[in-house]
Amino acid sequence: MTRKLWQFPWGYPESALFVAGIALAGFLLQLTVGYFDFALLHYPGNLIALAILAGLVALAVRFQYTAAVRWIAGIPFAVTLTVGLLLLALYMELTPQLPRPPSQSPDLASRLGFRAVTSSWPFVLLYGMTLIALGITTFRRLIRFSRQDISFICNHLGLFVFLVSSGFGAADMFRVVMHVETRNTEWRVFNKNSEALELPIAITLNRFTMEEYPPSLTILDRQKTPQDPPENKKPSEGEFFQIDPKRPEGQLGDWGITLDEYLHTAVRINGEYRVNPMPESTPAAKITARNRLTGETKTGWVCSGGNIPEYFSALPLDERHILVMSQPEPKRFASDITIIPQGGAPISTVLEVNKPVAVGDWMIYQYGYEKTLGKMSPWSEMELVYDPWLLPAQIGMGLMAFGALLLAWNGAGKRRSFR
Amino acid sequence: MSWNEFPFIAIPACLLWLAAGLLACRRAQTRRTVWLVDALAIGGIVLFALFIGSFWNALSRPPLRTMGETRLWYALFLTLVGYVTYRRWHYPWLLLLSAVAATAFTAINILKPEIHSIALMPALQSFLFIPHVIIYIIAYALFGVATLAAAALLVQRRKNAVNQELFAFVDNLVYIGFGFLALGLLLGAFWAKEAWGHYWTWDPKETLAFITGAAYLAYIHLRLQGRQDSLVIWALPIAFALLLLSWFGTTLFPGSSLHLYS
Repeated sequence: MTRKLWQFPWGYPESALFVAGIALAGFLLQLTVGYFDFALLHYPGNLIALAILAGLVALAVRFQYTAAVRWIAGIPFAVTLTVGLLLLALYMELTPQLPRPPSQSPDLASRLGFRAVTSSWPFVLLYGMTLIALGITTFRRLIRFSRQDISFICNHLGLFVFLVSSGFGAADMFRVVMHVETRNTEWRVFNKNSEALELPIAITLNRFTMEEYPPSLTILDRQKTPQDPPENKKPSEGEFFQIDPKRPEGQLGDWGITLDEYLHTAVRINGEYRVNPMPESTPAAKITARNRLTGETKTGWVCSGGNIPEYFSALPLDERHILVMSQPEPKRFASDITIIPQGGAPISTVLEVNKPVAVGDWMIYQYGYEKTLGKMSPWSEMELVYDPWLLPAQIGMGLMAFGALLLAWNGAGKRRSFR
Repeated sequence: MSWNEFPFIAIPACLLWLAAGLLACRRAQTRRTVWLVDALAIGGIVLFALFIGSFWNALSRPPLRTMGETRLWYALFLTLVGYVTYRRWHYPWLLLLSAVAATAFTAINILKPEIHSIALMPALQSFLFIPHVIIYIIAYALFGVATLAAAALLVQRRKNAVNQELFAFVDNLVYIGFGFLALGLLLGAFWAKEAWGHYWTWDPKETLAFITGAAYLAYIHLRLQGRQDSLVIWALPIAFALLLLSWFGTTLFPGSSLHLYS
């Protein structure tokens, strides 16, 4: 018996046409009204959208044995939707994307929403359709819960909760960067037009600190860079010798390198390098270089200079080549701060990368510092993120993680058919 | 130990793996050859693991930052997964194929040695760094083995003699691999929230991770209806090609990625 198109039960052809239809509707909307405005999903817009979604899911679960609901909660539609989103993501990967949708759309690609796919109507509609289909699939199974379904429920409910909170919560999320000078207190952030916005949190920067890794050595060709002083040129090609007291010997080009002495926090006084943990101190190394072809040996101090040009020293190897040290890379940087929430008690803490501080619905992150000055940076930047939908998103991620553990544990073994 | 000493460990390890694979594929299997296959395979894996351990110690940081370093773990897990599945499901050809693939990855590291570098940028200094990368590499290894087996299925399909047991085994690998893939992704999202304030930003690597995940998800759902046409089997090599793109190809595409460190 052959089934005609659009005759129930629907399968892949109908699903593909339906998903293509949604995408087409999205492109038409995009052409007429432009990019999707996420401000529509600002509170309470997102709660209204959530209520509509819940109503649709409830209605479908009530009529769950109709052919249409079976199709929407079925595998062909799920696979087709997944492939549709996959193709949009592939396009997004292959072409340059703007962080925000452009206000003007001069070319066709932009008018069709391809410059900022995640803000384009086709993407938003397919995302919404995924929420509906996933919601129905999940709750249909949930109301007839069986213990065998735990893996299914964790994976699908987790993804549903996560997609709802990240999609609907995106509009309510608010992130700003606050710039604070050492020994100053700041509670304002500024936009591009230098307009101030006052936040309910003030931050005092007591001190900015940084630790650095031992730097690398490299050989520069003076004839290739006649006009650039070598201390300003960042070595971008060629070989590097990582200074590592555990491995004092190595090879750079034709030169055998021996690390005779390494001072991590050196200052230069009367031409001599001495250990001194002052803020402007910088790594310096005494190196012996031996040419393996000629046997020629050179010994001397090498130092990048850090922030003090007078500290700079290179080791001339021959008429063309000099041995120089790279700028050290940061190992750890941190801000010793006092956070003063509006109407709350001050909190003294040290903020560093990967160790944010939570204050109410806000999270505060170490963000940036004056890169050219490194550990002498007179200021530090902190990012403040307000995200009231974080908790449900994390619950969704937790459910998915448990589901993933069950998948890894059980493999394809336990599956239950469901009609 | 460092990249300088790598060939002296890696070449013997690869020879042990290949010898184990070849011996396992021999028609006549005696108790002695079975024992010898175990000894050769485990010997290679232990030798390689010892190198990674001592390399880790020499760097004073986990060797998970550069492409070459992730290839080390891939070669290790590929042979480990190949050996475990050979023991558990008795597919000797899988042991050989995983040995060949691991040798290829090792050869790239020998031919293109990397610069010794002990620096690990602050953003990577998190307790989530090691599980995030290693869990991903385990998923990649499982999918790699599944792709090798899918190639065998495609050959069988052409002869109209699909081995159902092998198909079930492929599904099993994909399910377990997907579990690891999802865990790696979730750990990454959780970590991104700690480090950058957002769990998902459509960074080029994240977009490719989504694409890879979606492709395997499509395969899993296609198989739920028991379909076994060649289109469904082809989903696996296609998904694996996307996976390789997400692993190595992030630099090929526009957009700056947080996942580039060297």
